[in-house]
Amino acid sequence: MGEHYCVVTFHSTYHAIQFEKIFSGLNYDVKLMPIPRQISSSCGTAATFPCDMWDEIEVISQSYNIEIDHLHRVEPTGNKKWFRGIIER
Amino acid sequence: MGKEKRLMLLAGAIIGIFSVVLVKLGNPVNMGICVACFIRDVAGALGLHKAEVVQYIRPEISGFILGAFVISLGTGEFRARGGSSPIIRFCFGVFVMIGALVFLGCPLRMILRLANGDLNALIGLFGFLAGIVVGIQFIKKGFSLGKSYKQTMANGYILPVIAVSLIVFMLIRPAFINFSASGPGSQHAPFAIALAVGLAVGILIQRTRICTVGGFRDIFLLKDFHLFWGLVGIFGFALIGNIIFNPTAFRIGFVEQPIAHNDFLWNFLGMFLVGYASVLLGGCPLRQTILGGEGDTDAAITVLGLLVGAAIAHNFGLAASAKGVPLNGKIAVVIGLLVVTVVAVSNVYSIVSKNKKERAGADV
Repeated sequence: MGEHYCVVTFHSTYHAIQFEKIFSGLNYDVKLMPIPRQISSSCGTAATFPCDMWDEIEVISQSYNIEIDHLHRVEPTGNKKWFRGIIER
Repeated sequence: MGKEKRLMLLAGAIIGIFSVVLVKLGNPVNMGICVACFIRDVAGALGLHKAEVVQYIRPEISGFILGAFVISLGTGEFRARGGSSPIIRFCFGVFVMIGALVFLGCPLRMILRLANGDLNALIGLFGFLAGIVVGIQFIKKGFSLGKSYKQTMANGYILPVIAVSLIVFMLIRPAFINFSASGPGSQHAPFAIALAVGLAVGILIQRTRICTVGGFRDIFLLKDFHLFWGLVGIFGFALIGNIIFNPTAFRIGFVEQPIAHNDFLWNFLGMFLVGYASVLLGGCPLRQTILGGEGDTDAAITVLGLLVGAAIAHNFGLAASAKGVPLNGKIAVVIGLLVVTVVAVSNVYSIVSKNKKERAGADV
């Protein structure tokens, strides 16, 4: 996933599945994954997408009635940063 | 990814070892940690049921909630939120507890039983996995309990305050709190150690999000093994710990297993109900206590559902024992399966119709 990656979160897993189905059909490089820990303490489903598609994701989702929660840019974390995350928040 | 996997294994290993240590220090065998059994004991201690052998305020439960509460406050993740189908969650909580008490353990105890050679837990695991797979089919079709919304802070503090109240009851032991004189309720690790372990586990699970349901759900739904490694850690290290610390209790087989019965069908169906309802709830009983601790009032209501479910299970004669599963318990599991299915089908139907209407509206 390189230096950083982008994910979209949803209010329901169903919308995450719909998102993957529709965007894969449109040949976008999207993939379902558990919500990254840096974003949320919940254990829902998110989807990765190419960061340069940031603006399009929202518009296309809306046109297909896919309810998205937020778009996030996720920086990579190692154990050290994970721990630092605990004390610095 | 390698580091994350090791971290999950380590967290699971700590929980597995803690479970073995609690048994060594007095908890019933294979019950180092069992959220269903512990909440059932708390229900008995509060006088919500009259089963005299399972009444004790398990400090581990308060520990799970308060561990998650304290760490989430510290990291800024504590958020009071709720309003996502609370009454359905309460109902599902009741049935999760009934399923667990027919099998005799929550999914975590199922893993711990397996790690001590109890093969009845393997049958339970098959049922649990089957329940998760069926639940996932509804999720794929559109099942959702709906968005949760931000609430005022006081909402999020209710469950932690209940957890503190239980500790106070434990310390001052008022006459209205029941304590078992014999049976599993009378077997417990020292209060301070049990509370400390509960706090540590609460913190660990809040940070790692280990969940017995989530671990398998993510494999089936996303082909993702991240949470599963935590479960591998729990199983592997509880197994090693049992062999080292409690070798006399380690026995591979189906018969004469501690606090277990070997009725295959009802071990399977009991855990089927637990997996089925839990995957629709979005987490196992342990995970619900953690989410409840970090301000999720929907999870808090699910925990109250578990508590009431325990009272119902013992007052109505539904809970199994080493002798087997009573008829009432079998009927209750079937009712549970029907209720969860009716709720899931009606939920999917409503959501799909709503989506169709919205799409039609958008096309006009």
